[in-house]
Amino acid sequence: MSARYGMVIDLDRCTGCGACMVACAAENNVPALPERATARTGLTPMLVRKLSNGKEGAERREAFIPIACMHCEHETPCVMVCPQQAVEVDKSTGIVMQIPQRCLGCRYCMTACPYHARYFNWWDPQWPAGMEKSLNPGVSVRMRGVVEKCNLCHARLHAAQEKAAAAGKKEIELKDYVPACVEACPTGAILFGNLADEKDPVSIAARSTDSFRLLARIGTEPKIHYKTTQAWIRAQADRNPDHSSEAQHG
Amino acid sequence: MKVSRRDLLIGSAGVTAGLIFTPVPWKLLGDVSIWTQNWPWIPQPSQGPVETKQSVCTLCAAGCGLRVRMAEGWPVGVSGVGTNPVTKGALCPLGFGAHQLNWHPRRLHEVRHRGRTSSWDEAQGALEKACAEGPVAIVDGRPGRAASSVLEGFAAKHGGNYRVALSSESRALGPYAAWSGVAASRLGYDLENAQTVVSFGTPLLDGWGTPGRFTRMWSEKAAGASDPELRLIQIEAALSRTAARAWRWVAIREGSDAALAAGIARVLREERLVAAKGPLPQMSMEEAAAQSGLTGQAIRELAHTIAEKRPALVITPEANPAIAALNVLLGAVGAPGGIVVRNKKALEHIALEANSNSYRALVIDSSVPWDLVPRSNVEVFRFAAWDGGGNAGDWLLPAPGFLEELTDVPTAPTSATETYGIAMNLLAQPAETKSAAQLLGKIDSTLPDIEKLIHTRCEQLFQAKLGTIHAEQPVAVAKFESAKKLEERLRNGAVWIDDSRHANSVRCAMKEWPAATRVLPAADWGAAWEAPVLPALAEKLYKESNLRDAPARREA
Repeated sequence: MSARYGMVIDLDRCTGCGACMVACAAENNVPALPERATARTGLTPMLVRKLSNGKEGAERREAFIPIACMHCEHETPCVMVCPQQAVEVDKSTGIVMQIPQRCLGCRYCMTACPYHARYFNWWDPQWPAGMEKSLNPGVSVRMRGVVEKCNLCHARLHAAQEKAAAAGKKEIELKDYVPACVEACPTGAILFGNLADEKDPVSIAARSTDSFRLLARIGTEPKIHYKTTQAWIRAQADRNPDHSSEAQHG
Repeated sequence: MKVSRRDLLIGSAGVTAGLIFTPVPWKLLGDVSIWTQNWPWIPQPSQGPVETKQSVCTLCAAGCGLRVRMAEGWPVGVSGVGTNPVTKGALCPLGFGAHQLNWHPRRLHEVRHRGRTSSWDEAQGALEKACAEGPVAIVDGRPGRAASSVLEGFAAKHGGNYRVALSSESRALGPYAAWSGVAASRLGYDLENAQTVVSFGTPLLDGWGTPGRFTRMWSEKAAGASDPELRLIQIEAALSRTAARAWRWVAIREGSDAALAAGIARVLREERLVAAKGPLPQMSMEEAAAQSGLTGQAIRELAHTIAEKRPALVITPEANPAIAALNVLLGAVGAPGGIVVRNKKALEHIALEANSNSYRALVIDSSVPWDLVPRSNVEVFRFAAWDGGGNAGDWLLPAPGFLEELTDVPTAPTSATETYGIAMNLLAQPAETKSAAQLLGKIDSTLPDIEKLIHTRCEQLFQAKLGTIHAEQPVAVAKFESAKKLEERLRNGAVWIDDSRHANSVRCAMKEWPAATRVLPAADWGAAWEAPVLPALAEKLYKESNLRDAPARREA
């Protein structure tokens, strides 16, 4: 039976610490970029943005929203525009896979992505002398000129699959496959699991009344769900996330 | 058949057109794409087998459980330890990139004397001369370690003074020590039993104390609830990360914390919301309201909210008696859910004097936070693994980096219970580095060896038969067959926790309401990050995103 891996991110629990961003970068061999890199040209497959209610003074409220690839299930925009078949939806997992070796760097997918969750490698991946020893053996380094994004820590899925195969099983144990951001979150705000399994906690959480998906109205059926009891957070998050952030940071 | 030039051209055009309908150009395009992504200067990750080791983080005094993935002997990733009962798998955002710190461009590889390259022999000679000429202060940032015993022993034998330079979290417990006579190193916050936590600008959700301890608790008991089990009230001028997520954020004028505390104290006493007796602040309610920018009614409501759900605990980011006095009024000192005594032994430490010019020299251990280098005219020997810039001291001495030094990790400053862990040297110590204890041990070979000191401490834990060793499964110390096995477990990343109950016999004698002291607003990086530099990947949080502001001290 094919799985549909996804997340439910509880925005009421996110403190905006950034641990998920650092853990994601370390796990996926994302390099630290030169000083001139900016929020626009950076490489942050997991990016925590600030939201605000737009008020000032004591009435102001802020929250944080982690944004990664939404792994759209339906008419996946990046897949539809890629001329190189460098983006695929894995039928057995539902993960939207970026295959950098096929990528020509045309960036159509970045334009097509409604969640701004794709990043272009503007620079050669470089580390200070010796630091390449600290790279994760399970993930290859991407070259300048290609697009990358969250692959739901595919190396960890491979490791779980290998473990299952070694034990003679066809299905992985979900406890063996935990993406780095989920593992890193100090408040346990990110719930990860199989959305296709109705009994899975993530599936139950995704069906709760507090749960929502970004830009659900455009019908891409993202597999990253969010959850909050605060109406203003939901209202702000469901706008274009980039605009919410820009409003905050001017 | 004669092939004309025209036939050749038609044929070539046909082949070219036909090629488009074959996989050849697309295959070639794909191959070129792959080929151009494999330049020789692009680093390739190691292909060696991966093994996982467990340890304790030593980047600050919090002592978080650490799981290190190693490939070919090098760390390739770190994560938290879920079975650690204090941190419960959490690490701060900086910890997740800490395995790359040893290759940070600011890593120290040579002895520097006033900016010039020097040698260990010259540094040792200068230190020996300083010791012979006058009193030397040996400054420790994390007392209670085996290395601390070496530093203390050297100071005692060579006519010097052992002094501590503690983090703001440790200093914040100072007022209770002054009022109760119980050393601050014996006190901690019983967060687990508090029902209301009132924070005056303390970054409780931003790395304060042991990251994970309060955030996990807040997540389970408070996050998103309208009437939470744990009420977090953040009193702060700016909307910090903690204020944004608190149950209530009370926005006050900057620097008016003490005035608001005085107003709250008046309401608590005058409206008999607390049983405690004692001094009252001089400040009137009107003055408290005028200074804080709140109305008298708002202060009254706040005091009622604090008194409504108890135990209530007030936490300050720094030593601030005028606010800490609220805990005395609330009866939170020496009570469950308040400030508790966590150990029986008194560990009195003397803080480094503000004016340290009376010393001949200062020897600053690498455990002292970089920003705590005192401004003095005496010769400073500063041990550090990284150069944090700014006021480094006369001698900058390269110390072992992350995972390069065997050290024990005593109780975190804010902890309510005693803990003990051992951080192994998972990496070989670079030949050009020495810790302060190693250099002092070279000067005086009679000083104890850290390895033996750790062994003795494990023996003492075993003999006491108290507490539990937390590894995959918790095991009571009393069930261990030998001290050797207990030490082995600790060396493999387990942590000892004293879960025996101590009597909280604390009486606070506060003769008058303390005067106000200035509270500095918390930096965007929250609580104490003690290493001089940030991991390169953590820089993404401000360079490649707008999540945080760049730390000011980085470019000091």
